[in-house]
Amino acid sequence: MDSNKKYWKGLEELNKTPEFVELNKHEFAEPIPIEDVLTGGGLEGRTPRRDFLKAVGFGVGAVTLAACQKVPVHKSIPYLIKPEEVTPGIANYYASTIEGQAILVKTREGRPIKIEGNPNDIIGKGGLSARAQASVLDLYDVTRLKNPLKDNGDYGWEQTDNFVKSELDAIKASGKKIRLITSTITSPSSLAVIADFLTAYPTAKHINYDAVSYTGIIQGNQNSFGKAVLPHYNFDKADVIVSFGADFLGTWISPVEFIRQYVQNRNNKSLEAKKMSRHIQFETSMSVTGTNADVRIPIKPSEEGVALLNLYNAISGTTLPGSQKLTNNPIADKALTLVAKELLQAKGKALVVAGSNDVATQILVNAINSLLGSYGKTIDLDNPSKQFAGNDAEFAEFVSEMNSGDVGAVFFLNANPVYDYYKSADVVTGLKKVRLKVSFSDKNEETAALCNIIAPNHHYLESWGDDSALEGYYTILQPTINPVYDTRQAEHSLMVWSGSTVKDYYTYVRNTWDKSLLAKGGLSGQAGWEKLLQTGFVQTAPIAAGSYSFSYGLDSVAQKILDHSKELTADGSKVELQLYQKVSMRDGKRANNPWLQELPDPVSKTTWDNYANVSPADMKKWGWQDGDVVKIDANGYSISVPVISQPGQAQGTVSVAVGYGRTIAGPVGDNVGKNAFPFHTLRNNTLQASVVAALTATGTNSPLAQTQTHHSIEGRNSIIKEATFTEYLKNPGARTGKEEDHKVYNLWDNYEHPTYNWVMAIDLNACTGCGACVVACSAENNVPVVGKDEVRRRREMHWIRIDRYYSFNDNGDNGGTTREHEIAKLDDLDHVKVVYQPMLCQHCDHAPCETVCPVLATVHSSEGLNHMAYNRCIGTRYCANNCPYKVRRFNWFNYWNDARFENYLQGDHTQLVLNPDVTTRFRGVMEKCSMCIQRIQAGKLKAKIEKRPLKDGDVKVACQQTCPANAIVFGDGNDPESEVSKALKSERTYYVLEELGVQPGVGYQVKVRNISELEA
Amino acid sequence: MRSFSLLFKQFSRSVLVVAGFAFLGTSAFAQGDAAKGETIFKAKCTTCHAIDRRVIGPALGPQLDTETDDKFLTKWIQNNQALITAKDRKALAIYNQYNQAGMTVFAELSDADVAGLITYVRTTYKAMQTAPKAAVGGPAAESGPSQMVIFALIGVIVLAFVIILVLNKVVSTLERLLLKNKELMIAEPVAEAAPVDRMATVKKLAKNKKLVFFVLLCGTLALGSWTWVTLWTTNVHQGYQPVQPIKFPHDLHAGAMKIDCQYCHSGAYKSKNASIPSLNVCMNCHKLIDRRKGATVPSPEIAKIYDALGYDPATTKYDSTKARPIQWIRIHNLPDFAYFNHSQHVKVGGLKCQTCHGRVQEMPEVYQYSPLTMKWCIQCHKRTNVNMKGNAYYEKMEAVHDLIKAGKPVTEAAMGGIECGKCHY
Repeated sequence: MDSNKKYWKGLEELNKTPEFVELNKHEFAEPIPIEDVLTGGGLEGRTPRRDFLKAVGFGVGAVTLAACQKVPVHKSIPYLIKPEEVTPGIANYYASTIEGQAILVKTREGRPIKIEGNPNDIIGKGGLSARAQASVLDLYDVTRLKNPLKDNGDYGWEQTDNFVKSELDAIKASGKKIRLITSTITSPSSLAVIADFLTAYPTAKHINYDAVSYTGIIQGNQNSFGKAVLPHYNFDKADVIVSFGADFLGTWISPVEFIRQYVQNRNNKSLEAKKMSRHIQFETSMSVTGTNADVRIPIKPSEEGVALLNLYNAISGTTLPGSQKLTNNPIADKALTLVAKELLQAKGKALVVAGSNDVATQILVNAINSLLGSYGKTIDLDNPSKQFAGNDAEFAEFVSEMNSGDVGAVFFLNANPVYDYYKSADVVTGLKKVRLKVSFSDKNEETAALCNIIAPNHHYLESWGDDSALEGYYTILQPTINPVYDTRQAEHSLMVWSGSTVKDYYTYVRNTWDKSLLAKGGLSGQAGWEKLLQTGFVQTAPIAAGSYSFSYGLDSVAQKILDHSKELTADGSKVELQLYQKVSMRDGKRANNPWLQELPDPVSKTTWDNYANVSPADMKKWGWQDGDVVKIDANGYSISVPVISQPGQAQGTVSVAVGYGRTIAGPVGDNVGKNAFPFHTLRNNTLQASVVAALTATGTNSPLAQTQTHHSIEGRNSIIKEATFTEYLKNPGARTGKEEDHKVYNLWDNYEHPTYNWVMAIDLNACTGCGACVVACSAENNVPVVGKDEVRRRREMHWIRIDRYYSFNDNGDNGGTTREHEIAKLDDLDHVKVVYQPMLCQHCDHAPCETVCPVLATVHSSEGLNHMAYNRCIGTRYCANNCPYKVRRFNWFNYWNDARFENYLQGDHTQLVLNPDVTTRFRGVMEKCSMCIQRIQAGKLKAKIEKRPLKDGDVKVACQQTCPANAIVFGDGNDPESEVSKALKSERTYYVLEELGVQPGVGYQVKVRNISELEA
Repeated sequence: MRSFSLLFKQFSRSVLVVAGFAFLGTSAFAQGDAAKGETIFKAKCTTCHAIDRRVIGPALGPQLDTETDDKFLTKWIQNNQALITAKDRKALAIYNQYNQAGMTVFAELSDADVAGLITYVRTTYKAMQTAPKAAVGGPAAESGPSQMVIFALIGVIVLAFVIILVLNKVVSTLERLLLKNKELMIAEPVAEAAPVDRMATVKKLAKNKKLVFFVLLCGTLALGSWTWVTLWTTNVHQGYQPVQPIKFPHDLHAGAMKIDCQYCHSGAYKSKNASIPSLNVCMNCHKLIDRRKGATVPSPEIAKIYDALGYDPATTKYDSTKARPIQWIRIHNLPDFAYFNHSQHVKVGGLKCQTCHGRVQEMPEVYQYSPLTMKWCIQCHKRTNVNMKGNAYYEKMEAVHDLIKAGKPVTEAAMGGIECGKCHY
């Protein structure tokens, strides 16, 4: 029995707006002008004979002339002295680190071209985020600074050193304060260098400043347990997860690690063991985490604290003074009692997290977790995470010190407060009173532009260094390319300025490791160091996590929470504004990265912009359409952004992403979206991301560049399949459609796969929709970036996309929630369910694209792949028309050599990031997922050279390799022992649009939702 | 033309060699022990020394010319280390001058051997100094005469024609005179009628429609096939032989010297690129060899390597500031959309380089031997059997085994080697 549940990609499809219906008739967004030809006299019209002859004559002449060009002479320039380890044509891999995560950097002929997870990394186990994948492109950013600057004029390093040192000496003598502002530093060596600097200049102080801070959690733990740390959460040990606005699968603390942990209790392996965790999310805007939750309940920011109070009361059985029921949100109210029950049942295996940066809220969360016995089990305070150590109060104090003229020198390392501090005007006026302002930024940015010295830092792929994001986990950074420009590592600069006797930062790092860190991994000496450079990290055995008893008076906490809630409650005309981070852009530091800008937001599927998420009911109430620009006013600051109707958004709230509206970021990132950081408020010494705001329509419309509505599923119900955990337990093959016995007809003979049969399995229950695969694929396969305008025209080029389908809530016994029935009450759009489906070329055995290609540019291989020969394609686009999965992408332009796209990937250096084993495609050519055929061929060749059979796992495709959830499995279907064969044998497997008989090579595993116990 | 100049080169070279031997022979007769000295010199000294130039050690000619103390020389040659440890003034001076590089101890050489050696070096050096001009003609002869000879030949042929024509004229005049004398002169008007006759034949032929059709058909076919072939071979550069920045003779290195291809093109075994050797590979040999065998002046082509590296052969020092890469002209150009991997063919397939590149060991200058068209690739993939002997990679392929059992050959094509995506991605 197929589910008759209705899935839809966007509200347009659901409501069947006339525009959507019209656009949907066409395969391509812009109609081909065949109509003009046919109607405007077209074929009937007369072409005078002379005109015809002229045209033919010119045409023939032009073609002849064009064909007369000389064949260019190609030069071949070998190395003068070849480095021993480099063989042209063979990739070298180096172990390094990004944001505390051990990685492998793939280099070709000395230039890094791809970042890959280190399979032994304890954070991601080989999985990497989209941002880490995209980081390699930053290295080749042509807007990086080429040398140090003084007052925005070129300057030499020696002059810089002399100037800074003499200034520092003068400031030291005057006794004025010196401040070192950095985003959180987790590198032991960097911290030691900073400590040396602070010793050299006694008036100096190091302040951690994170644009999006976690001060609330750190201080909450200080108050509750006397430990000012960011705990290490173990989502893998939690059977019941309740999150209040913490987007832990998207942006919260360490998403890659959390995805890996979270999926362990929800993937195929876990399901086969008849085990699945429960996840309940209370949140305002629809986050990646919320979309993955079994139950998601929209609440307003003002309700969050009150809800937590209620949860505490329900769990503890007491009533904190002042607590009240959530009278305005009966669904949440009811859910909380049930959630409390579930949490108590899962005592010791429960975890409650909250995204709030409010200390009182976090103390209350600690109290709840303490009652649930989470400490020592799902929360580890003894092996804390060091990823964020920012202190909001310290930074606020620094700003006032600047303004009172106490600060003589300030250094900014990876911190850009002029852009991302809520009171950036105060920072700007303060900076004017500082004598020496130094930025280590490797690019010109808002803060650096106001500094008198910019001492550009290396890119991390050019740097030596180390990192320790988690207690007891020490990773190494090693350079993979010589510095592209005349830059210098920030640590080295600090060493020079503090008169260090160590000759360079490499030696410094080496000393740190020789002294203490190597020993932690049982290594020593030169051999140990060399081993470290190969393995990438050392690890000490974790300290046994102790359980902590909570001790803090909750009465005052409850009062603070209630006060805060009252402050946030908007009266009738206003709304509650909540700020969030997008998975791709986060805090906006890397806004100049086109891969990240073009990565669609997992939920809204919007690229190149930030916007106001408004609930469909509110949209209807105010009479707004998608893209209508509204002015958001709060805190005396206002921005005008387009609105987007976001199902699941709590009514009476609006959410805007930070990280946009950079003004000095580079040609890609400048003026993309609007800056929402100034909406933050400082409350009880921590930055708060919610505020009451007024919305006014401006009357203009700015269409969003969404990839969401580009294809329709035409009401087919065999694309997404979903079952509840109860159904799964009863019948593991539930809702796969296998029960239906229909006759299969074949127009074609079956293909034989004499050697290999490359197939893929995608577990819909593991996929969180994070989008890492999209960027990994772009990096591996030289996929062009097309920009906002072209995305609006539905011409994005991604070979793999993550389709996001909405469906209405059902309780597992839906028995016929028909679409008409549900659309009638739009209220239900607040409670929608979301399924993500990575969609890529399905490599159908009986591929419909192959039969319609007039030039046989796309043909089938004996290994089960659907080949695409670009040099053969003449661009009829018949194949795209005939593809039921809409995965073929057409090159409307020569993106690699067209001035209109030069901001994206055409810089002098940007092209160095291209994978030399993959052709760049020309205008007028179709392209699509090749199953990373270059990797398949390379894997086979390696096996042949080593004279051994190809093993399962020798070939990993780019999307599979980077997936932190291991949702994608690829391999040889002919080998019954291969991981993919086993995965496809799972009873949950189904094929998308199986009834068409195209025999796809990609199998999906039914999404399972654990909604058996709670009827929210 | 290539073969002609080659022939001439070989000829002139052999003449030079014979002349050289003759010269050496006479000088050997002049000095009794120099012949023995020569054998010792060639066996023991040439690794580090040359007579007229510095290699690793000093140039022996000038050195022995200035140093006339044969007793010291004998001691030095037999055991230089002893002299150095004894802090002999002269010995230390030489030792320090040449970067304190220790010379091998030749204790086994008798005094007579050393004397012969010294005589040999001195006489040879003297001979070199007296006869440098004659030797310079050697390399010049390599390029000069070939063109001269061509012109001379053409001149001779033209002259021969002129003579033949003149002689013919003379013969016919004489004959006419003879006929006149015999009063049997042929009537002149007959000759006047001849052109009219010819035109008539053409006209007559033009009236034959079958013939006209046939001629037109032939013409069309010829033109058509010419167009077809031209279009077909557009951008096929078989025989492409660009002028390289260094006239690198593959025939000498791979042919005469029998150096393995992979000594220089080391990538061919492990990578998709066979790779052009970096100059440090050249220097493995050319640090010692700076000229053709037997030449007395350094080769200007080898000097280009030194220039590119910023290497000074006189001081044997490198100056990286002067270094600049050599820009070779790529001969074998595959389009970017075709993926080709050398290691697949050379290492796995066991193909010889010559299969695609021709007999490079006989090419003084390399040219594109194969057409490098897709047809050419496909043909080979269809005809070549897979080299699966001893390669466990193929063991697990049941389908392959089925083919073998059925007695059918397993070609590349049978393994999917002619599918688009195997080369185009």
